Amino acid sequence: MSDISHLIQFLFSGITVGSVYALIAVSLVIVYKVSQLICFAQGEFFVFGALTMTTLVSKGVPVPLAFFLSIIIAMVLGALIQQVLIRPMKNASVGALIVMTIAISLALRGLALLIWGRESHVLPPFSQGEPIQVLGAALQLQILWIVGITAVVLFLIWFFFEKTPAGIAMRACAENPYGASLMGINTQKTTLFAWAWGSGIGALAGMAVAPMLFTQYTSGVMPMVKGFIAMSIGGLGSIIGSVIAGLLLGLVESYTIGLISSKFSDTIVFALLMAVLVFRPNGLFSRS
Amino acid sequence: MKKLVFSGFVLMVFVALIAAGPAWSKEPIKIGGIFSLTGYLSWLGEYKKKAAELKVDMINQAGGVNGQQLVLISYDDNSSPEQASKVAQRLISKDQVVAMAGTASVPLSGAVASMANRYKIPTIINSGYAVDTSRDPYLFNTSHKTDFAVITAYRMFQKKGIKKLALLMPIGPLGEIGGTAARKYAAEYGITIVGEEKFDVKAADVTAQLAKIRNMNPQVIFSFVTGEPAALIGRNMDQLSFKVPLLVSHGNANPGFLKLVSNVRTQMLVPSGKVMKPEALPDSDATKKVIVEFNKKHVAKYGEPANYFSAELADAIDLIAEGLRTSGGTDPVKLRDTIENIKKFVGMQGVYTFTAKDHHGTSPDDMILLTVKAGKWEVPR
Repeated sequence: MSDISHLIQFLFSGITVGSVYALIAVSLVIVYKVSQLICFAQGEFFVFGALTMTTLVSKGVPVPLAFFLSIIIAMVLGALIQQVLIRPMKNASVGALIVMTIAISLALRGLALLIWGRESHVLPPFSQGEPIQVLGAALQLQILWIVGITAVVLFLIWFFFEKTPAGIAMRACAENPYGASLMGINTQKTTLFAWAWGSGIGALAGMAVAPMLFTQYTSGVMPMVKGFIAMSIGGLGSIIGSVIAGLLLGLVESYTIGLISSKFSDTIVFALLMAVLVFRPNGLFSRS
Repeated sequence: MKKLVFSGFVLMVFVALIAAGPAWSKEPIKIGGIFSLTGYLSWLGEYKKKAAELKVDMINQAGGVNGQQLVLISYDDNSSPEQASKVAQRLISKDQVVAMAGTASVPLSGAVASMANRYKIPTIINSGYAVDTSRDPYLFNTSHKTDFAVITAYRMFQKKGIKKLALLMPIGPLGEIGGTAARKYAAEYGITIVGEEKFDVKAADVTAQLAKIRNMNPQVIFSFVTGEPAALIGRNMDQLSFKVPLLVSHGNANPGFLKLVSNVRTQMLVPSGKVMKPEALPDSDATKKVIVEFNKKHVAKYGEPANYFSAELADAIDLIAEGLRTSGGTDPVKLRDTIENIKKFVGMQGVYTFTAKDHHGTSPDDMILLTVKAGKWEVPR
């Protein structure tokens, strides 16, 4: 295997994890824009999505059905949490709300432990087949699924926010909740949708990448951290920023592991975050 | 007059108590268990605890030891050596156990070893920790030695004419142990080690290392790893269409591993204790009866058969009980001696014969080589 093929192999790993970070970051941004709140439970939706789909598939449910069912279950879970735990706290400080999301994260992790146990679970790839050989590097078919799903989700988000009344209403809510409600926009419903979307996308990220990893109840911690870092680097309110930052993060991580050592990958990621926060504290792509 | 009656009464009670004395010492015998129920080793800690509890039950139902019941006091070591050390201290000082069992990894065993030696409490560990009796006279180990696992695999390779072996070892002490063992017996079984690559156990991908190994043209790859990394290597080998068998560590002889490799096409070779496939044993094998009987009870109580980790603890408890029978009392120092004198004791991991130099007690003949086919353990042809 020549050096070119190694570099291409790292590119593939980088795009894979980068897409996952991008999806998580986007889901965080959607919730943030509408609730001014960073939901630290996103990593657990990642895990729930992956493990729910794994359980459904292992019981014989066809993959496409399992896929959509798992997303819907995650969205319902996210909506429930918003209605029951977050909405009653609408007069609480941001700090208290963030602590609440952390508490939710821990509770969900405990729930995952109860349901799925301590062991690691394996989700088969969405399609069978040999990897595609690209100049000596192996491109697994699942990577095409991950990139494809990410692209479709981003397109749908763009379409929703730019072209549909509901999406425009959500943007209005995010920019000016009071003004939006004066215009007759139901801010409560909008917040509910944002949370459901957020948890659905987080779960989607988990499902798409699960065939390439081993998922267990603690698997959501690192994706949450990396997704949050991507969101911070890209700018807290910027969807485009999160996508680009997520991919960037994935590539930096992959090339660091491949060319230097996996011991430094976390260090370099945090160093990158610190650099951005020092020089562009609002993120690379924020408007302010 | 009243005083006389009263003192007489006290005297009578006193005499009665002394006469009843021996009956009071029928207190239960306390054995300490140190299990990883949380942390990164928690997936195997449960098996160990369940097996230890079942074996204690079985012994108690058969009448206990020397007329006394056994009681297992177990604590969680959180997969952390500091915590393992703390709970060992607690078992020894507060609970006053006569012996201890458990510790799932080399660092955990090391942490508890120093407690065992300092306070002179015989401890039966079960990990890759090689017991050097000059340093750890109070330690015994029911896990098979890495050497045995390698020899078991090499015997099969020799039979099938497999000569070229490549090593893909994890960075760290386990990788060193595996590499050393692999090299030690290579010449004896006609194996040539064509090369070695290292990898980080936390890595999500080893295709780069596998690509380099492929250039060495091995007939089999050996990686001394357990759990996810082992399954990951198999998966990566599938992706590269690298069609040789993969030999992994004997720590994979458990049901969780079958799930991890359910989609892996590469042939996985796992050295194992006989507990994983008693059906493959001839009736003349002494351990078969012990395994089958324990399995029956294990399935009845827990709904699943015993595995490698269960067997380690079942044997540990059995050996402690046997030592207690011979010593007749509960003095830990004497218990260590009687355990060390155990010869030809039939357990599940094998037939144990301890000596002053050998506190593992088993031999390569006590292991078999297994492979995974259609989600089940099979003997490779």
